[in-house]
Formats: sequence, structure tokens, C-alpha cells
Amino acid sequence: MTLIDRTRAVIDKRQVLWTLVVRDLRVRYSRSILGYVWTVLDPLLMSSIYFVVFVFIFKSGKVGQQPYFLFLVIGLLSWQWFSGSLTDTSRALLADAKLIRSTNLPREIWVVRVVIAKGVEYVLSLPVLAAFTLFYALQGKVHFNLGLLLFPVGLVMEFVLLIGLGLLLAPITALVTDMARVIKIVLRMLFYLTPVLYAGNRIPAPYDKAVWLNPMTGVLEMLRAGFFDQPVVRGPVILGAVVTVALLFVGAFTFSRLERSVLKEI
Amino acid sequence: MSAVISVDDLGIEFFRSRRRRMSMREMLFHRKRTHSTETFWALRNISFTVKEGEAVGLVGGNGGGKSTLLKMIAGVLLPDEGAVSVAQGVAPLIELTGGFVGELSARDNVYLQAGLHGMGKDEIDERFESIVDFAGPQVRAALDTPFRHFSSGMQVRLGFSVITALDEPIILVDEVLAVGDKAFREKCYKRMESLLEGGRTLFLVSHSEAELLRFSTRGLYLRSGELAMDGAMADVLAQYNADAAETGK
Repeated sequence: MTLIDRTRAVIDKRQVLWTLVVRDLRVRYSRSILGYVWTVLDPLLMSSIYFVVFVFIFKSGKVGQQPYFLFLVIGLLSWQWFSGSLTDTSRALLADAKLIRSTNLPREIWVVRVVIAKGVEYVLSLPVLAAFTLFYALQGKVHFNLGLLLFPVGLVMEFVLLIGLGLLLAPITALVTDMARVIKIVLRMLFYLTPVLYAGNRIPAPYDKAVWLNPMTGVLEMLRAGFFDQPVVRGPVILGAVVTVALLFVGAFTFSRLERSVLKEI
Repeated sequence: MSAVISVDDLGIEFFRSRRRRMSMREMLFHRKRTHSTETFWALRNISFTVKEGEAVGLVGGNGGGKSTLLKMIAGVLLPDEGAVSVAQGVAPLIELTGGFVGELSARDNVYLQAGLHGMGKDEIDERFESIVDFAGPQVRAALDTPFRHFSSGMQVRLGFSVITALDEPIILVDEVLAVGDKAFREKCYKRMESLLEGGRTLFLVSHSEAELLRFSTRGLYLRSGELAMDGAMADVLAQYNADAAETGK
């Protein structure tokens, strides 16, 4: 089974993988002292903007669960991981062309390392989420429940999803010049098609089921499960997991098919 | 002695136009592929083996497939036909400064580059001083400045120094056997010689007859994608020169 072989090859090189992840983070944070602040500031500012727009202008803070600001922060933080990772993994094979041409590593590493580096950034931003949770919990507005256990499961699912999509898109972007633009537009559309700003149950039937096909719906459902007094909807979680695994297989297959051509091109 | 590199009926095919980049816009609106589909075999039907400790020089004209062959042995290109198997670790002197990041200090870059080629942190710690020593006093003085402030000469010197410090039994060289100024070039040659005496296997691509004769004993001659000759370095060079004189007429 090639997927298992490739996974093992990448795991064998975990030391190199770690070196690359550390390099990514160092490069980012050595450029400015504000490095860390930037990664947190963006989702926080966006949360504030959406909060103002929906709560004060549209007067419809009920589109999501309460407290709405916490609902937004959870969604936007993990969406940032998703979109940042997708943008960078799709460029991964082009951005590191020189390195790929001179080192014989399993090529999947260049995708995996972006997802991990972005994931580390995401984890580093979790204290902010914890702070807001505490803030609302002290006011008695957070309904903690056993769904919290689903939080790590959601993270794992998002990780696998990003690897699958990265493996699929990285070689295609290396061969098709304007793919990066397409990805940018699709990501923006996907943002509104994913329950980031609103709760999934707000979508009128039968379209609510269509959104279940988007694995990020399931991911967000799990990440938010422990904080609000809404029962977890099982549909998007189960369907999302199936789609995620399917994407991983499709991604790994595409990557191995196109690897040869990509190496000739870059 | 066992074979450490074995190349079996190797072939690789490229597109005639150098880039085959496709564009979504054109695929959608013109309903055609935006690249020519004409291909050619850069290398075909290549078979040979290299034994442990051999020093092989690869000669041939431009576009003869030398670098392509080397890249396939290094594992950074994959063959379309046949197979390459390399039994031991490889230190590739190809694109020496490719792995360096301009933003990071030279010190961080040494750790990064050596790490990418599989050296553990302890090993790098141990060899760090000798790597920097070899790269020269200019590099040592600038160890903690960002790598992009280095002159290109200093960059390749550090690159050469890191790769040759790798403890790999096979060394692949793509026309970067010696880099930097005259004094440093001699240092490079000396290091190469000491590595060869240590029993390393060398696979060298070069246009310099002096280098080829100095370092390799066996020669391979690639002519328009085919292995035209495999023999003693001096004989292969003689044949290559005769061919070159023929086409030069």
C-alpha cells in the first residue's frame, strides 16, 4: 500500500521535518517582533468586525450560538489555519523548488511541513481562545459539556484534511500556472459556504445537508461542541470524516502520479 | 567490491518546449492544451554499475544528459523507464546554496542545511567548528549576520563546506568540484582528494579535463542521451575530444 509506505518514509525523516518546521517559524518570527501578534491579531480583528456588523448593524447576533463573539473566534482561528495552510501548501513545491532540486527527501514532506508549521501557529493562538473562554465563563455564559472531548478530534480531522488537500493541490499548482488564483477565489467562496460566521442549523433545508459535504463543517461542529448548549449534529461530523479520508487517498494518489512531471518542471 | 550505484536501462523523457506549464484560463477558453506535446528522450537505454570506491567522471557535450543522469542518481529526478538503485547515502554537490535561507544567520543555515541532508544535531555540533574553519575566516567573522549579506563567493564556500562535511560514502559533483577564489579552489581539491583516499565513491560531472583526469579513473561518455563509451578516463576523454574535433570542423 503506497499510502502507508509514503507515510513511513515521511516519518523516517521526522527530524528533517522538524528542522523545516522550525525554520518556517523562525523565518516568520525573525522578520518582526510582532510575528506572534500578527497571527493572533488577524482573526481577532476579523472577529470584532463580524461581531460589529452582525450584532450592531444587522441586529442578528442570533445567526450563531451564544456568546457569539466566542463562536466567531473559534471559527475564525481554525479557518485561518485552513486557508493559510491551503494557500501555502498549494505553492509548496514551487516556493522550495531549489531545495527540492538539491535534496532527496520524500517530496510529501514539503506539503506536510507547511500544514504542521501552520498548525503550530494555530496551537500557539489557543491561549487567546482560552482567555476569551475564561472571560465569558466568568460571566456564566459558556455551557461547558463533554463535547470538549471532541475538540482534539476536530483538530486531527482538520490536520488530515489539510494534508489531503495539500497533496492534491501542490502538484497541480506546480503544473498549472494560474491555479493559485483559482484557489484564492475558491477559498473566499468556501469561507461563506462554511459555517464560520453562522451556525450550520441556520441554513434552510435541504441545503443544510449539502454543507455537510464540506469537511470543515464537521471540524467546526466538533471544535465548538464543548462550549455551547447545542447538541452536536452528527451528520456533518460523520460525512466530513468520510470525505476527509477520501480526500487523503485522492491527494496521495494524485501526488504520486504527478511527482515525476513536477520534478521535471521545477 | 559490491556495486553501490546500479543504473538499469534508464530513460527519461522531456517536453520539447522547455516549460510545459499549463494555464487554467487557456484550457477553459481555448479548449486546448497550452503546451506542445512533443517530447524527446534526454536519456535512454543507459545501464552501468559503479563499485564502491570507484571514481567515475562523466563527459559529454551540452544537452548530453550529464546533469540529468546525476540528478536521477541523487534521487531528485525520477526516471520514466528503468531504475536507479543507490545502496548508500549520497552527498550531492548540486545547487550548493539552494537550501540556504537569506533571512537566517549563517550559523542557523549550517544547522538547517546539514539537517536537511540527514545530519543529527549532535553531529553538527561536533563538526560545526571544522565546517566554519574550512569556509574561511571571512565566513567565521560573519557567522551571525543574515546569509543574504554574504558575497556569492562566501555563500558557495559555506555550501561546499557543509556538503563535504556530510559523512556519506557517495559524493556526486555537478561542476562544483571547486568554488571560490584560487586559494579556496586548491583547498577544495585537497578536501576532495582526502575524501577519495578515505574510500568514498565519486561521481563527477565536469567540463574540465584537468579535474577529470585528476580525480577520476573511469570515464563515462554520454552522447545525445546514449552511453557512447565506458572505459578508462584518459581513453574516454580522447574519444570525446576526437568527436568534438569532428563536429567542430
